[in-house]
Amino acid sequence: MKTNKFIAAMLVLVMAVGLLIPALAEDTIKIGGIGCLTGAYAMYGEGVRNGIDLYIQELNAAGGIDGKQVEVIWEDDEGDPAKATNAFNKLVQNDGVVAILGSVLTAATDSVAEFAAEEGIPMITASATAYHITTDRPNVFRTCFLDPFQGVSMANFAKEEFGATKLAVLYENGNEYSTGLKDTFVAQAEKNGQTIVGLEATVKDEMDFKAQLTKIKDAAPEVVFLPYYGREAALILTQAKELGLDVKFIGGDGISDIVGAIGDKSLLTNMYYSDHFTNSADSEMVKAFLSGYQAKYGEMPKISFSATGYDAALVLTNAIKSAGTTDYAAVVDAIKSSQVEGVSGVITFDDHNDPIKSAFILTFDETGSQVFVKQQNP
Amino acid sequence: MLLLLVNQIINGLGTGAIYALIALGYTMVYGIVRLINFAHGDILMVGSYTSVLLMVNLGVPFPVALVASMLVCVVFGVVIERVAYKPLRGAPRICSLITAIGVSYLLQNSAQLIYSANPRPVPTVFQVAPLAIGKLNISFVTLITVAVAITLMILLTLFVQKSRMGKAMRAVSEDQGAAQLMGINVNVTISVTFAIGCALAGVGAFLYSMAYPLVFPTMGSMPGLKAFIAAVLGGIGVMPGAMLGGFIMGVAESLTKGFISTQLSDAVVYGILIVVLLVKPSGLLGSAVGEKV
Repeated sequence: MKTNKFIAAMLVLVMAVGLLIPALAEDTIKIGGIGCLTGAYAMYGEGVRNGIDLYIQELNAAGGIDGKQVEVIWEDDEGDPAKATNAFNKLVQNDGVVAILGSVLTAATDSVAEFAAEEGIPMITASATAYHITTDRPNVFRTCFLDPFQGVSMANFAKEEFGATKLAVLYENGNEYSTGLKDTFVAQAEKNGQTIVGLEATVKDEMDFKAQLTKIKDAAPEVVFLPYYGREAALILTQAKELGLDVKFIGGDGISDIVGAIGDKSLLTNMYYSDHFTNSADSEMVKAFLSGYQAKYGEMPKISFSATGYDAALVLTNAIKSAGTTDYAAVVDAIKSSQVEGVSGVITFDDHNDPIKSAFILTFDETGSQVFVKQQNP
Repeated sequence: MLLLLVNQIINGLGTGAIYALIALGYTMVYGIVRLINFAHGDILMVGSYTSVLLMVNLGVPFPVALVASMLVCVVFGVVIERVAYKPLRGAPRICSLITAIGVSYLLQNSAQLIYSANPRPVPTVFQVAPLAIGKLNISFVTLITVAVAITLMILLTLFVQKSRMGKAMRAVSEDQGAAQLMGINVNVTISVTFAIGCALAGVGAFLYSMAYPLVFPTMGSMPGLKAFIAAVLGGIGVMPGAMLGGFIMGVAESLTKGFISTQLSDAVVYGILIVVLLVKPSGLLGSAVGEKV
């Protein structure tokens, strides 16, 4: 009998506390976080979550939003679109979150975005780079840039850093990454008043680039744009040297694995490329982000999506603050018009809800170590 | 424009010389045993890995690495011949052809298992500035490749025409049975043929990885295929033909890329092959010999 009474008393207590929770909740702003926290791609999910949690912790320590603390409720979707949908429904219907951060992988993000668009709830993904994620979904944003955007940054970089007016492009036909970067690079170069003196294509698995490089050399450009991965870029740099083509080479983030593929590392000092984020950047904000990350997790960020996750949380909470309400439409409008400085650069959004933001330009020294050059603003 | 044309021809000769070197190996083996050794391109891969591993991991100087990679290629070639081709010598030709394809895949996948599919860089051996003639730049690697290819072709032709072993090879090529009756050791002759062909692949491997400094398990298939076509184009079994075929292909590729379209370069090369085979089925330098009965 005694135990029964005890259990009954406990149940009453639990129920009473349960009744109290909604009253307490008035003082916190709840945001739903969705990502693949387990499974094969857990590394991405964790990276994004670490970035978001770090920002929210800093925000709460500084007083939250207008005195209200912010809480992120995390749901694991394992990268699976169906689980992502369930997570979304649970967060919106049961937990009453006011916005969604996530998801992480493209397919899962796409299904969440579909439902978020119906609800009109503000949503920001830090990592889904597929173009269609934000198409016709006015309340869905992202803080990572799409690959082709790097073409814009690199055309500007060639102009500002080298004062280059004559540019050449060598690209791989049939490769979406390569042609995407080529298109945006050429468009931006024309906008900048730069001339494309040579535009040469290669095919998949090409080993010999000499014919194209000979033509490019003949056109005498100051800078050559190489939207390639490290393997091809290594061959191109080597063969360009053989042909006596001595110019600056620039490329996108695909270049980052060139070090392991090139024999003559001294050629790398002529190679500049852009990346979404780098731990070697020297802005105050990046340094503060890295030391905060190190303090909280005991390691440096492993993927650049930790930085874009941090920025996603920053953009969202800033928008809630400036909207002064958690009303969906008001927050969406505030995000749309936001202009904030994040760790991955100054962020504004274009018509397609993609960020227009800085790229991090890197090069190498003679031993192949990465050297940070500058943050290239759009 | 003229300068561009000359430059593209030089580029083509450089590529062509490498095709030619590999094609010499194809053509020798075909000429003597009537076997298209599809694993020849993969022997090239084995040679490239050998020289890269020796130079990078053990730090040996390049002449040693070159000789070692030739030796490894010879050992591979002779062992493959003994294990995979010799038991099938009497079988229909299609059997050894299929076996050759099998050996090719075996080599590729073993390399993938051992060294992973990631490409490895080849250290730069010749830190020599390109030779400048007026506004013309000729890369040192191209010069070396063309010189080595032509020299080896001449030596090989002399060897086959003048030496005792060369005579034995020609005899085996004409009629194995009769050669054996005349006291020629057919097995040794065929082994020597494979050894020489594979040593050439070893040299080709070294020059190929100088020109395209990346090694990976499937690196041999494309040059192997191109070299095979070069051999057929020039007349398979004829050594100067392999040379000519290689140069024609290299130059055609380079000119197509330079003046017509990058996409079409392979189409043009194969187009030339088809036209040549239609007009002269035995290849450019091949003599039309009736099938022996």
